[in-house]
Amino acid sequence: MTDDPAANLGFPVEVGRIEKELGKLWESIGDKTRASLINLAIYTESAAGVARNTDLISQIASEHACRAILIYARPEAPERGVRAWINAHCHAANKKEFCSEQITFQIDGDSPSALTNVVFAHLDSDLPLCFWWQGPFREPLDPRFWTWIDRLIFDSNAWDDPATQFGLVQKIAHLGDARTVLCDLNWTRLLSLRQGLAHFFDNACALPSLRRIDRVEITHAPGARTSAILLLGWLAHQLGWTLDSVLGRHAFRDRNHAEITFSLEEARGACISKCRLTAGESEFTLDRSAQGEFYHASMHGPECGESSQLLPAGRDRIHETLLMELSRAGKHPLYLKALSTVTPLLA
Amino acid sequence: MSTAKATNPLREGLLSRSAPEPCSLVIFGATGDLTHRKLVPALYNLAADGALPPSISVVGFARREKTDEQFRTELEEAARKFSRQKINDDLWANFSGGIYYHRSEFTNLEGYESLARRLDELDAQRGTRGNRLFYLSAGPDQFPVILENLRKSGLNQAREGSWSRVIVEKPFGIDLPSAIALNDMVEGSFAERDTFRIDHYLGKETAQNIMVLRFANAIFEQVWNARYLHHVQITASEPLGVEGRAGYYDKSGAMRDMVQNHLLQLLCLTAMEPPTDLTADAIRDEKVKVLRSLRPLTGPDVARHVVRARYAAGSVNGKDVVGYLDEANIPADSQTETYVALEAHIDNWRWAGVPFFIRVGKRLPKAATEIALHFKSVPPVLFAQTGDAIDDNVLVIRIQPDEGVSLRMSAKLPGSALRIEPVKMDFHYGTSFGKATPEAYERLLLDAMAGDATLFARRDEVEQAWKFVDAIRAAWDSGEGGPVVSYAAGTWGPDEADALVQASGATWRRL
Repeated sequence: MTDDPAANLGFPVEVGRIEKELGKLWESIGDKTRASLINLAIYTESAAGVARNTDLISQIASEHACRAILIYARPEAPERGVRAWINAHCHAANKKEFCSEQITFQIDGDSPSALTNVVFAHLDSDLPLCFWWQGPFREPLDPRFWTWIDRLIFDSNAWDDPATQFGLVQKIAHLGDARTVLCDLNWTRLLSLRQGLAHFFDNACALPSLRRIDRVEITHAPGARTSAILLLGWLAHQLGWTLDSVLGRHAFRDRNHAEITFSLEEARGACISKCRLTAGESEFTLDRSAQGEFYHASMHGPECGESSQLLPAGRDRIHETLLMELSRAGKHPLYLKALSTVTPLLA
Repeated sequence: MSTAKATNPLREGLLSRSAPEPCSLVIFGATGDLTHRKLVPALYNLAADGALPPSISVVGFARREKTDEQFRTELEEAARKFSRQKINDDLWANFSGGIYYHRSEFTNLEGYESLARRLDELDAQRGTRGNRLFYLSAGPDQFPVILENLRKSGLNQAREGSWSRVIVEKPFGIDLPSAIALNDMVEGSFAERDTFRIDHYLGKETAQNIMVLRFANAIFEQVWNARYLHHVQITASEPLGVEGRAGYYDKSGAMRDMVQNHLLQLLCLTAMEPPTDLTADAIRDEKVKVLRSLRPLTGPDVARHVVRARYAAGSVNGKDVVGYLDEANIPADSQTETYVALEAHIDNWRWAGVPFFIRVGKRLPKAATEIALHFKSVPPVLFAQTGDAIDDNVLVIRIQPDEGVSLRMSAKLPGSALRIEPVKMDFHYGTSFGKATPEAYERLLLDAMAGDATLFARRDEVEQAWKFVDAIRAAWDSGEGGPVVSYAAGTWGPDEADALVQASGATWRRL
């Protein structure tokens, strides 16, 4: 991309003629059907990210027809300029071929206004804008840009400085009329785990134990500490725990001021390979092998006896996580609440 | 009833429906086709999606001698063949560990008593908490004895804090008196709130989407009435003949097999008023009002508004096929219809004067189920001089296959001349939402475990539908309702059906 970005990005086009050239592209590909449910914009500052994201868009388009806008920004480039390419991703479904279009921009130089313009000028009208921001968030945050986004996607696992970045995310959440839905792929990744933990307590005999949890143990992959912290935050918020930090030692207190200790252990394997909740003599464990598609969910204790079950663990591959996020729609009302419960742990 | 959903704080934001509760699912007729093709694959898919309750046991109840292990092996083969998701060996092993086989004659009370003891043991072992879900998947002639023995053995009685429910497969009787008798019999063992009558059409995503389309889109509901609509067509066609069901089908016919249940349910969803809320009874109340408003078709009216027909020899999918009367095990003097077209009217303010044309048939050119709302024509003023006939707008809800919604409208052909052609806006579930939609039985089993009866037929719905159908059948039996006409297999039905819609200025849709 740095020298010849045209390699797999389709046809280079003049920025002012993109829609016309797209029209020609559709004429040239015959009786295939153009389909689009969303505008999917992706912002990256990584040259390697261009090819990776083009592959990802192709995978996403097979299940989620979209107009994809890939933006490769080079804020450090000495001269300002914008280049563009167009491409189509076609997939067979129900004996027909359906195609999604991709517009790729390379934006050179530090030019937030160019970014705003190329995005807004090339949206498929009336369709929601899902924007995956793969770069770091930076101030100043322009409300005219961020509040136009319907679903702002990011991955807090990729951040070097989660405390600062989460702070900026919370600012974005409060810009303008705050209709933007924040979609942290790290939160999405935890969905199967949260469902698995909730599943234990759908059992009426296990439910009382939820109020007596005294220990949480989480094992996470290297680099996935924020995932573990978000999971802790969700548990704490839902169960009414508050974080108690004394001389660098952290623990939670429940509504009766009883202490809940926790441990975050790092081990190679799945993003979260194990989560165990202990409530007196009762234990509830979700355990996942490195390549496993399922959590082994086991519980034992005096109230419910012993039982075990396999529950879907989802997959950690990024396109599957993104597809899951795009398929679920709706808001994530608990995300910021969970986050604010454990903010001190992010430092 | 457990209140797990209401009190489990970890469920907040994760589930927008009632949570299924731990239970034992007992399938009567467990060695039959439905269990193998639909029920067990559905349960496996629910397990793969993590949607089953925390504890569940599945107990097959049937006459043949079999061990638990043999039963599991048979079901595994079926699941590998019919499941929409690939079978994962680990998951199957985990899931099938909760499958058991209970051998007994349906008539043998001791078999039910030993079942009760076994279910108690499973409760203790697996934490199913005394909740029982009985699935009547046997032939309808077996329902009375099964229900009777469930009652005698006390299995219909839930213990304190538990529930006992029954799922009844169609047919819900063969006419109104038999439906009343069956409903009375079910009611003798289970309360209406614990009775779940399955019409699998209601479990289909597109059937569920009808309410969303109507009531979550301002654009449609405003024009969903007699002021804007000319007529409605509801079609269920299939290229198949009677296949291996000659014995059943010849006693049933298209009217009982399809119209009384599936098609009248689709008509209700299309025509009902907005319910007060989304609870089961609020929705079913509105559906019953539609059935009550259906203008009865009786006596000579049946000959004018209903066409019955059976297929003659013809060609389907490039193969010659025999006529209905030449099918194996069909009596030569059979009067059974394989095709019905009828014109129904709903006598209420919303639908006054709008005919609902229903057609259903076997050995038609292709498989399709859909609802088409045909709008009235625009006044012939502005574009009359073009000489082009302007096609009316049609909104089509495709139930199966290729689920989706399309809208036909008119557009100007490009060029200097003013020429008008119909174009179609098309929404396909498959391409829009990608992932495979769950099978109807997955949703319905889960709903029954959660006690949500929204997608199941209520007693009064079933009986009202029979009342409408019985009047037509009575006219047929008396000779006032017109003869059984014939159509060549592989065509879209008899000429008489075309004449039926033409009398209202309509034509059948070309699917």
